[in-house]
Amino acid sequence: MTLSTRCRCRNKHQEVLNMAVNREYLDPIFLSKLANMELVARCAVEGFFSGLHPSPFHGFSVEYSDHRQYYPGDELKFVDWKVFGRSDKLYIKRFQQETNTTVYILLDNSKSMSFAGNRSVSKSEYGAYLAAALSYLMLAQGDSTSLVLFAERIQKKIPPRSRRTHLNIILKTLQHNKPGGRTNLASVLHTLAETTNRRGLVILISDLLDDEDSIFKGLSHLKFLRHDVIIFQIMDHQEINLDYEGLIQFEDMESGDKIRTFPQSVKHTYRRRVTEFLDEIEKTAGRSNIDYCFIDTSEPLDRALIAYLARRKRMK
Amino acid sequence: MSFLEWTFLFGSIAIAGPVLAHMLAKPRFRRLPFTMLQFLRSSQTESYSRRRLRDLLLLLLRCAIIVLIALLFARPVLYIKPKPKDIRHIYYLGLDNSTSMSYTDGSSSYFEQMKDSVVEYILSAETNSVFNISSLVSGNWSYGLSKQQALMEVKTLKLSTGSANVDVFLSGIRNSGRTINAADEVSVLLVSDFTPQIFSKFLNVQEPVIADNYRYEMIVSSKPINNASIIRAQVADAAVDGFTINVTVANHSQIRQNRRLTAKIGTYEAESLEVTLPPNQVKIWPVHLESSSISDMQLFAPVELSLSSGDGLGTDDTYYLAVRMPQKRQTNLLLAEAAEDEMFLLDMAMQTLSGRGSDRIIWVRRIKVGDLSTTNLEWADVLVCSGITERLGTMTGEISDFTESGGRIVFFMTGEPAASATNQLWQSKVLPALPKKIIKEQTFPENSPCEKEFSGVGNVAAKAIANYRIDRIPVNGFWECLPQQDSVCLWQYQNGSGFIYFRQLGNGSSILANTSADGSLGSLTKSSVSIALCQYLLGEHNQIRDYSFSCNERIVLPVTDIDFGTGRQKSLLVRDCDGNKKRAVLTDSSLMVLDPGSIGWVKTLTEPELYAGVNLPPDETNMSKPIEQQVHEALNRVFSTGKRDNVTSADIIGTKEQKPAWIILVWIIISLLLLESFVANRLRR
Repeated sequence: MTLSTRCRCRNKHQEVLNMAVNREYLDPIFLSKLANMELVARCAVEGFFSGLHPSPFHGFSVEYSDHRQYYPGDELKFVDWKVFGRSDKLYIKRFQQETNTTVYILLDNSKSMSFAGNRSVSKSEYGAYLAAALSYLMLAQGDSTSLVLFAERIQKKIPPRSRRTHLNIILKTLQHNKPGGRTNLASVLHTLAETTNRRGLVILISDLLDDEDSIFKGLSHLKFLRHDVIIFQIMDHQEINLDYEGLIQFEDMESGDKIRTFPQSVKHTYRRRVTEFLDEIEKTAGRSNIDYCFIDTSEPLDRALIAYLARRKRMK
Repeated sequence: MSFLEWTFLFGSIAIAGPVLAHMLAKPRFRRLPFTMLQFLRSSQTESYSRRRLRDLLLLLLRCAIIVLIALLFARPVLYIKPKPKDIRHIYYLGLDNSTSMSYTDGSSSYFEQMKDSVVEYILSAETNSVFNISSLVSGNWSYGLSKQQALMEVKTLKLSTGSANVDVFLSGIRNSGRTINAADEVSVLLVSDFTPQIFSKFLNVQEPVIADNYRYEMIVSSKPINNASIIRAQVADAAVDGFTINVTVANHSQIRQNRRLTAKIGTYEAESLEVTLPPNQVKIWPVHLESSSISDMQLFAPVELSLSSGDGLGTDDTYYLAVRMPQKRQTNLLLAEAAEDEMFLLDMAMQTLSGRGSDRIIWVRRIKVGDLSTTNLEWADVLVCSGITERLGTMTGEISDFTESGGRIVFFMTGEPAASATNQLWQSKVLPALPKKIIKEQTFPENSPCEKEFSGVGNVAAKAIANYRIDRIPVNGFWECLPQQDSVCLWQYQNGSGFIYFRQLGNGSSILANTSADGSLGSLTKSSVSIALCQYLLGEHNQIRDYSFSCNERIVLPVTDIDFGTGRQKSLLVRDCDGNKKRAVLTDSSLMVLDPGSIGWVKTLTEPELYAGVNLPPDETNMSKPIEQQVHEALNRVFSTGKRDNVTSADIIGTKEQKPAWIILVWIIISLLLLESFVANRLRR
């Protein structure tokens, strides 16, 4: 899939959401202005839900909660046909939430994640917002949530808990986190696979700037242990497009390598290479039955949340 | 390829500039932390090599532009060998249309024979031939004619009066030869009667003409030549009753000439005599013409001398001679002497002068200065005074009017001048110089005047004065004179003092002869120089003259003493020999007609009527048959063939065609400049 195709898909997705979602609170620029990570998480999640139509995202419990009116777009399997037979009106059955899943949020904390491009929000910040929002959402649903920060190795691991107060620990960790070190994702994934004894949902938030094969070997390891895996690949707009002018000496944030070039003269080749790289990741993820979501840091958080909820629903 | 200014090639060294700049250039950059260097590196590896390639290309382009500009300044010339199909046959035809070509031996004229011959020659030429035709008299060329055009040109060619101009013909070939291709075949054809006059011109050619081949054709009659001509005529003697013209008749033919020579003045047939001349003889016949056939008022007598018909060429049988008639003028001379018989000798000299020439009659009246009156002045044309007396002072006004109206006054210093009279005459500017004090020392006049061609005195007489050795006549004293501002000292003593002063006064003039009181006037007047001196003081002697010009020269008629009416005009209308009206340039001393046309009369169309006779050059119609061997040798020397590769002069045409390469270079440079800007622009991206 080319970059433009990817963008088109993304746009289509976006259009659907734009109809309903109040995205003001999902804008990373807006979120970056909020000093409190809890506020960030809350803003993001509640902002996300406040714009939604009543939908199956309400919960995944088997215990009946109440009914609401059917709206186009709702899945028909949740329609209460008995009520329809009696009243000739469509109603959706709602259920009480019930937690039974462990979610591991793996946040890449390498130096490359601190790249901010022209935007004020770096990849690590965006990743932190996303992790916070997801944690908030998960803990609100009663899922046990674990946060793992890693670079070459696991830097910090917050074990999974389902208490609401656990959120504070996660958010505090995210708030005081500073990226550093080189990426060695494969090693981290293998370590995680070996140390987790309960299957669950693994959410990887990273720029995936590592050896692709080794990454997927690690992910396969997790899949082998019957974990559900979602990858959020976070990239900066400039990393994708290389919209720079003039002679620039690019210095690698992790290795310190230097390349001096005119970006305008290499732009086309670079974009092609990046697209190939991203396509390859997407294909490989598809082949491995791993949900893959590419996120540009200039985009709001809702895409990531939708992707998570969709996956979470499938786990039911 | 070669270079005309090869030193500019050193300008190529300037390529060191861009090379050094290329080597020393360090681009400015900014640092930027980045993440995806592995993608950048793989992209940049390809791009960097391209960029280096572009850099190198840009450098090469700039160096090439510098080198090409240096080449452009060095003025490169390409040598291109022309294709065989481009080789043209170029013919230079020199056709003699001079007067001698009108000779006929009973059948067709030389000129007609020449035209027939040339037409045949043109018809036999190749189809892609180019003809350049010159008529030898005018020297005009018709260049680049096709076969048909050349035939038309030859058929419309006409005879011209005058001689063949060989130099113009040859230089025309040389100049045209510089522009033709080296491979072109150049042929020269010369058709003429090769009379001695033309032949001598070929003998005098210094620089040869280069051609691939040349051909000449002599148009000569097979019969004996029959032609006589008047080659010269001039006035030999003038008397009261008429004048004599010596007429030179030449018989350059092989037949004895028995002709009749007739002289006419206008329509009046004045004289006729038998002329018998053996072959190859030149003889002079005097022809006397009476003055009675010419009116008194006529300045010029147009004398037409002609031989009766009887030879093959009629044009040269008539000779035109304009004779300037002497003006029969009466001069009233009043001698006003201060003392008794003081001017007796001068009187005698004037009387002698009056009797000598037929053009001037001098009536002399001798009076005492005291008797000088207005009546005397009214009678006189010239007043000669010995000394300056009181009477002259009292008559200053009358004398001034006399000179203003055209009279001439001559003062001889004989004794102490009357001071008041001298002052009055000086202040009224009648006196050309003021005698201040007498210098009593012996001196001698110069042998010749200071102003040799001064209008108003007898310049011819000055030569006679010199012949009589005036410089050996001692003068025992002279006056130190202060000349008027506009006076001219015509003659000096050997010590540098003025001898004769002249001043123009209106239409007249005044002269002061600085003789002394010790009888130096007597010394001069009793010497042999006296008559010539009188003639000098009275003015130009009007002699009989003749004016005859050759048709290839400009006409210049002296008009110093001719009155053209009110004021001096700058031009006059004349009718030339062909009957065309023209403007002649008129100056103070001469009337000039630049192109008289053919032969005949050039005549002014306004009064007074001036004539000039225009005739053929003397040898033009010398129809002596040329010696073929001599002509062949002379033309072999004039036309060099088969040397076009060896000769190095400017006229030599190389075996290859030269083409300047600067146009190609300019286009290449423009293209490279565009390419350079494009590449440089791409590089900035």
